[in-house]
Amino acid sequence: MTEKPAEKTEVKLEIGRFGKFLQDNGIKSKRQSDSNNVETIVIDAKDLEPAMRLLKTSSETTLNFLLCVSGVDYADKIDSVYHLWSYEHNDALVIKVELPKNNMTNTQTPCMSSISNFWPAANWHERETYDLVGIRYLKHPYLRRILNPWDWEGHPLRRDYKQLIDALNDKNPHSFR
Amino acid sequence: MNEPLKILNQSNELVSPELSDTVTLTTLDKAIDMLSTIVSPIANLARSNSVWPLTFGTSCCAIEMMCVGMSAFDISRFGSEVFRATPRQADLILTAGTITRKMASALITLYEQLPEPKYVIAMGACTITGGMFNDSYSVVQGVDRLIPVDVYLPGCPPRPEAILDALLKLQQKIRTENYAKRRLKGYDQRPVRYVDYDSGRPMEDLLAMAMEETKEVLTKQDNDNTK
Amino acid sequence: MATELTTTNLKTDEMIINMGPQHPATHGVLRLILKLDGEIVRHVEPVIGHLHRAQEWQGQNRTLFQYQALIDRVDYLSGMFTSLAFAHACEQIDGCEVPPRAQYLRALVCEMNRISSHLLWLGTFLIDLGALFGFPFYPFREREKLLDLFEEIAGQRMMFNYIRIGGVIRDPKPTWFEKVRKFTQEFPDRIDEYEAIVTQNPIVLKRTKDVGILDKQVAFDYGVSGPSLRGSGVNYDLRKVRPYGIYPDLNFDVPLGQNKGDTWDRYMCRILEMRQSNELIKQCLDKMPEGEILGKKQIAGLRIKAGEGFSAIESPRGVLGCYVISNGSDKAYRIKWRNPSFCNLAVLPSLLIGRPISDIMAIFGSIDVILPDVDR
Repeated sequence: MTEKPAEKTEVKLEIGRFGKFLQDNGIKSKRQSDSNNVETIVIDAKDLEPAMRLLKTSSETTLNFLLCVSGVDYADKIDSVYHLWSYEHNDALVIKVELPKNNMTNTQTPCMSSISNFWPAANWHERETYDLVGIRYLKHPYLRRILNPWDWEGHPLRRDYKQLIDALNDKNPHSFR
Repeated sequence: MNEPLKILNQSNELVSPELSDTVTLTTLDKAIDMLSTIVSPIANLARSNSVWPLTFGTSCCAIEMMCVGMSAFDISRFGSEVFRATPRQADLILTAGTITRKMASALITLYEQLPEPKYVIAMGACTITGGMFNDSYSVVQGVDRLIPVDVYLPGCPPRPEAILDALLKLQQKIRTENYAKRRLKGYDQRPVRYVDYDSGRPMEDLLAMAMEETKEVLTKQDNDNTK
Repeated sequence: MATELTTTNLKTDEMIINMGPQHPATHGVLRLILKLDGEIVRHVEPVIGHLHRAQEWQGQNRTLFQYQALIDRVDYLSGMFTSLAFAHACEQIDGCEVPPRAQYLRALVCEMNRISSHLLWLGTFLIDLGALFGFPFYPFREREKLLDLFEEIAGQRMMFNYIRIGGVIRDPKPTWFEKVRKFTQEFPDRIDEYEAIVTQNPIVLKRTKDVGILDKQVAFDYGVSGPSLRGSGVNYDLRKVRPYGIYPDLNFDVPLGQNKGDTWDRYMCRILEMRQSNELIKQCLDKMPEGEILGKKQIAGLRIKAGEGFSAIESPRGVLGCYVISNGSDKAYRIKWRNPSFCNLAVLPSLLIGRPISDIMAIFGSIDVILPDVDR
């Protein structure tokens, strides 16, 4: 846990277009600093499902292209990041859901709700994020490991993951790093 | 309960029921032993010029394996153009590409299904040591941890010419070997060994476990009924 | 007279068939668990991850300079594109300028790579349809020429490591451009040759027409992109809708499926795309400016600024995205790949259900999935 991403300076950012749209529909969001002029907002885990439904179907936004769902493991929290684009126009939005990590071990998983019930594109991405980063998506239709074998232990992309050393993998695992 | 069928071969050894209808060649084997000094060079020449590889490719090396079959490099000059899709008709596995832990059990099954004599060329850096992905959590560090390897072919991926070179080296190896001696070194080989895909355990172990469990349940039921 | 055997009194049972991971037509190691009712597929469960090499884990455990060599293996048929996506994401974070000559060289090698990738797809697709040996010799003949050209600039046939953060690594000799121009001149004739064999071939038409129709709405829901989406008639090409690099300066049309999004449309889309790429290569060669080729010094301790970057480009298989989080050190904090094959493969079950088992390979081949791109 020695590496830490650079601390973001707390500057009060103006509410963006999609943040305003969500606020009008009663969903709170917090703006983060943009990356490459793409609006980045942080919303609560419980608001994610209605917010996604709105953004996907509303004629005002039509962000109907879910690029990917990624999990990012920080020192004190785990982020679930959603990159949204549209097939019709050039808008883009990044949604982050922050899940606090209260001294969680590698085998424990934080929970949040799944969006794959109404958005099939998220299905495999959520399974992958569960597999590698260990975010448990509740109400997911088939939340099983997708890339690793089903009886794998731990979540490899967590920072505290200790990799298995056995007959198949016993050369110095840190030789190249 | 009727007795399980007992099958004995010519030298009065017990044979498992699955193998009962395969021909046992003990007397012929002895003849081969004696004749091998004369027969081997001829048979080896024939075998070495028709090594049929299995179309086993997991990643990048598989593309070079396809290229070597195409007109620019033309592996058929060396008698190996017949890429077989089933291991039962192949002599050689070119392990083209990284083998991961999830794939390992499938590779072992494939190797065991190849008929003897069988050869393995570990193609590419990934199958020799794990290569660039050596320290990944999911990669097997070298295919020789799973199956015996005859020729190591380095490169990431090796050029098609290198594949031809490895094939020629393998042919040289086949020409110099003695079939009877190779048989003696061979291990107890079964025609088919099914490995459970998820747990990686042999199917027969799992079947035996399941049988025992059902037996327990049945005896328990019987006991309950008698009560 | 014996009772007549009709479909009404014939009792059938569902059968589970395992396909793969070792199967000659799955382009690698995909496993499909099929539930069949006679010949008809009732349920499909793809099992992936047999080639999971932990690319993302490698990304956060190796330095950026080391990782640049690894990312060609994310999608080995189009290594230039994976390098380009990673370079774009890092340049977004770092803000370093890419010289115009490097931009043109990037577009040039990418379009060449698109052709070589589609050529391999064409060969394997025909193998999937049953033309085992014979036809695949034709596309591989041209592919070898392209690979020789790549070898001259990058030193490797498939794993180029040519596009780096801030530009490209080597400036090709003038004779190389002449060779590329010669290739572009003869390539359209070669495509005519393939089309003469394949396009109106009655067997191919029978196998591909009206097979695996991908509905637009289904494609949107699953996030399908690339020629698989354009075969359904959706005009969505990142080179047009979100232009990157020098694509705004180039003049080209996006080929679309004319029919209804079946396997044949996807085939046709890729054939037209090859012609289109050939034209793009010509334009790049004509407009190629002189000057620097690398905007950032390539040293072992290569660093980029702290921040987040997401870049997406149009790879031969669709939208290839790379999400990089950097903390200013020489290693990235997190690298996430958005692979087109991974998302396109998710739509496979909905295409297969209700089709006979013989169509599986035709449909699977037409969405052009590369397994390391799925598993990483």
